[in-house]
Amino acid sequence: MKKLLALILALAMTLSLAACGSSSSGSSDTTSDTSAAAADTSAADTTADDTADDTTTAAASTDEVISLTVWGAEEDQDYLAERVEAFEEAYADYATFDIQIGVESESTAKDTVLTDIEAAADVFAFADDQLVSLVNAGALLALDDNMSAVLEAYADKTLDDVKDANVEVSIEAATYNDTLYAFPTSADNGFFLFYDSSVLSEEDVSSWDSLLAAAEEAGMQVAMTMSSGWYNAGFFYGAGFTTGLNDDGTTSIGWDGTSSLGYAGVDVVKGMLSITSSSAFLACADGDVSNQIASGNICAAVSGTWDAEAAQAAFGDGYAATKLPTFTCAGDQVQMGSVAGCKLMGVNAYCDNAGWAVLLAEFLTNEESQTRHFELREIGPSNINAQSSDEVASNVALNALAEQSEYATIQSVGDKYWDPTATFGEIIAQQQLDADDDDAIQAALDDLVSGVTAAIE
Amino acid sequence: MNKLKSGLGAVGQFFADFGHAVADGDIFVKLSLVWFGAGYLGRKQYVKSLIMTIYEAALVAYFALVGIPYLSDFGTLGTVQQEYVFNIVTMKNEYNDYDNSFTILLFSVVSLVILVFAIYIWIYNVKNVYRLQQQAAVGKHVNSFLEDVHDYINGKFYVTLLALPVTGVVLFTVVPLFVMIFVAFTNYDQNHMPPSSLFDWVGLSNFIKLFGGGGITDTFGYAFVRVLGWTLVWSFFATLTTYFGGILMALLVNGKTTIAKPMWRVLFMITIAVPQFVSLLLVRNFFADNGIMNTILSNLGVTGFLHNIGLISNNYIPFLTAPGWAHVMIILINIWIGVPYQMLIANGVLTNIPSEQLESAAIDGANSWQIFRSITMPYVFSVTGPALVTDFVKNINNFNVIYLLTADFYVTTNQAMANSQAKETDLLVTWLFTLTQDYYNYKMAAAIGIIIFIICALFTLIAFNRVVARTGEGDFAQ
Repeated sequence: MKKLLALILALAMTLSLAACGSSSSGSSDTTSDTSAAAADTSAADTTADDTADDTTTAAASTDEVISLTVWGAEEDQDYLAERVEAFEEAYADYATFDIQIGVESESTAKDTVLTDIEAAADVFAFADDQLVSLVNAGALLALDDNMSAVLEAYADKTLDDVKDANVEVSIEAATYNDTLYAFPTSADNGFFLFYDSSVLSEEDVSSWDSLLAAAEEAGMQVAMTMSSGWYNAGFFYGAGFTTGLNDDGTTSIGWDGTSSLGYAGVDVVKGMLSITSSSAFLACADGDVSNQIASGNICAAVSGTWDAEAAQAAFGDGYAATKLPTFTCAGDQVQMGSVAGCKLMGVNAYCDNAGWAVLLAEFLTNEESQTRHFELREIGPSNINAQSSDEVASNVALNALAEQSEYATIQSVGDKYWDPTATFGEIIAQQQLDADDDDAIQAALDDLVSGVTAAIE
Repeated sequence: MNKLKSGLGAVGQFFADFGHAVADGDIFVKLSLVWFGAGYLGRKQYVKSLIMTIYEAALVAYFALVGIPYLSDFGTLGTVQQEYVFNIVTMKNEYNDYDNSFTILLFSVVSLVILVFAIYIWIYNVKNVYRLQQQAAVGKHVNSFLEDVHDYINGKFYVTLLALPVTGVVLFTVVPLFVMIFVAFTNYDQNHMPPSSLFDWVGLSNFIKLFGGGGITDTFGYAFVRVLGWTLVWSFFATLTTYFGGILMALLVNGKTTIAKPMWRVLFMITIAVPQFVSLLLVRNFFADNGIMNTILSNLGVTGFLHNIGLISNNYIPFLTAPGWAHVMIILINIWIGVPYQMLIANGVLTNIPSEQLESAAIDGANSWQIFRSITMPYVFSVTGPALVTDFVKNINNFNVIYLLTADFYVTTNQAMANSQAKETDLLVTWLFTLTQDYYNYKMAAAIGIIIFIICALFTLIAFNRVVARTGEGDFAQ
């Protein structure tokens, strides 16, 4: 009896060990996937021979059930379910579909996809700053002439039509090395200024100096995230500096030199330091701005559409939004720039039914879908027709974004960009640099540049 | 040292016996070098012979179909880059027969483990049939199959019992461990991510980079030394504070004059009952720059006072956002999290202290401090000494506390650290997490992992030998 018990215990222990080892079982999944893919290939070969007579444009219907998976943000699940159903109806003549919808935030899609590309969803939404990493890891299907032919055969449009239908900046964000890799879903992932018009006048919000002075007078604060290379780059972009991506994946950044507008990096930093030195300036941790808006002590905040609700609730009737203020740089008033961000929908390069997945991704990002997306969640469309609707035009936050878009740039940077710029912003937020010490500022900029431009390991 | 010698001796003996068996064995023993079942067949053990033959066939089949194809690519980790063409008729991508470096690495390791096991069985098998030959020669009884099976649920029951756990450990611990060790010698990173691209062997270059020898980021070695330093400082203080805190707490709760002892015990246990990620994230928000604690302190005028005397340069106290402050706070918060565990352990030990010793000490006129110092503490230490060592090692890898308190929250202002994706509050293990999770730098993470393993192993070896030798396990056994 005792031995039996001992044996059972041993078994239980092994099982618990087995449970811990799930990571290695993931790898075995990979192999089965690979062999499955190989089997598909051979199957495809035979069908190709059988139907060799058909012209490539013939959209023959198949009896096969096409299985696809889609990943989107949790808040988008209802929207996706609705549009996926519409897709299945629209293409019912060609095939039967079995489409699964999964939850994966656009901001973390890259991490999940790259963990195991072959096991990731066929179609997934992601933020445009992840595009380069995804392309470099070979996770995204290139939308080339073949895919244009697919769209022509089934959706009665070409890739050029898609490019024309969306704002240029969103297509640019979805393009890498002259190849389109994803369909834009929205073009509202940028930042601007929310403010309380009962405290601040339109004049006050035109420059950082007047904004901070007015806030100080009112005994309130202006919130902005300094410790993030996404936000603090706005000052440098405004002064004519750029960032870029090299072919080897490294980032090019010339902030330690002089910009195309003739401003030195040191001048920009001095401008930032004068802003953060104000007692009315509140440096927030990344993602903390909405909490601070809700605290009631804030009269203006640099943020994006995701904080529109919080701002509306906190500012009430005074809720207003506008472009970013100007800041003082080498004695001039320089308009602060910003990052034009988009959300994209891409197709997995290891998708079994690549053609259908492209059709689905296109469908989920077409004018009708984007209009519906705005209706349901006030997501700012990238589709030009959808943008021109009255509802979009009267949206306060999207208006401000449109106002700022003139000064917005697409931020194409590598992974090494983020940590050094976050640290640099934090140094400025904490006033660890002396605004009079040009050498120290220049040294900090040099360190920043050497960290950002470091080779990819 | 003696242990080492006897260990080596046993291994030598194992192979020496094998040599004897091959040299002195009869035709069946020699034949079983090629055909595993031959020896048993010669001794008329048909079932065993059949099992061994099937086992050999399975081995051959495995290596022919899986092992050799993968092992032959082990040297290059694959050469065929993935490519595909789209077929508009089938609406599918058609792939070439591409190599996946990671799959090759994984299956090679699995095959190597199987190979080592197979060689062991091969030698063991020859020795075993030689033993049978000797037994038969002197006319001893040769076990039948049923008798053998019976043996494994009686005399050799431990073998049966251990078979499953050992298999589990090999499959789920040893194999991944070896894979990770091998990864440290490859260039598996963001630019070499299977399945789309291949990775390759790079020798020791990752370790050279780690120690500052022409690293890719100039500051990698700089960051490594600082992270390692804080890891050791943290482990030392985290272990010591919770250890003594727990004992003191247990003494207080168990004190003669303490009333409502169970209530106190339960109260302190509550911190254990709440999951760490809940309590730590809450604490993190309490101590945030714009958090409750700062609001209260600034209303009380404490912030202003600290600002005036120059301790802080901002209009908030950077509890978890400035080096120094954050280091101390993390250790303090860890006391709150860790003390209840130690209290539980100390509680059990304290109730087992022989009361005669305490009583006689009291009669001899010792005060409570003397009793604590000379009786309680040595007793507790002798019992929990080894646990102290494991605690230290556990704290070196204490991911939860550090990560939950600082991830995405603490932004370093040290540019050299930031350029290597590290921050002052990082332990080696949290840095490793950032490198793999955010930067896909698997090769460096594997190299750091090996260093952590070496540090932990060395420390454990030395400390265990010291602690166990000094406390002389079981001195207090009566």
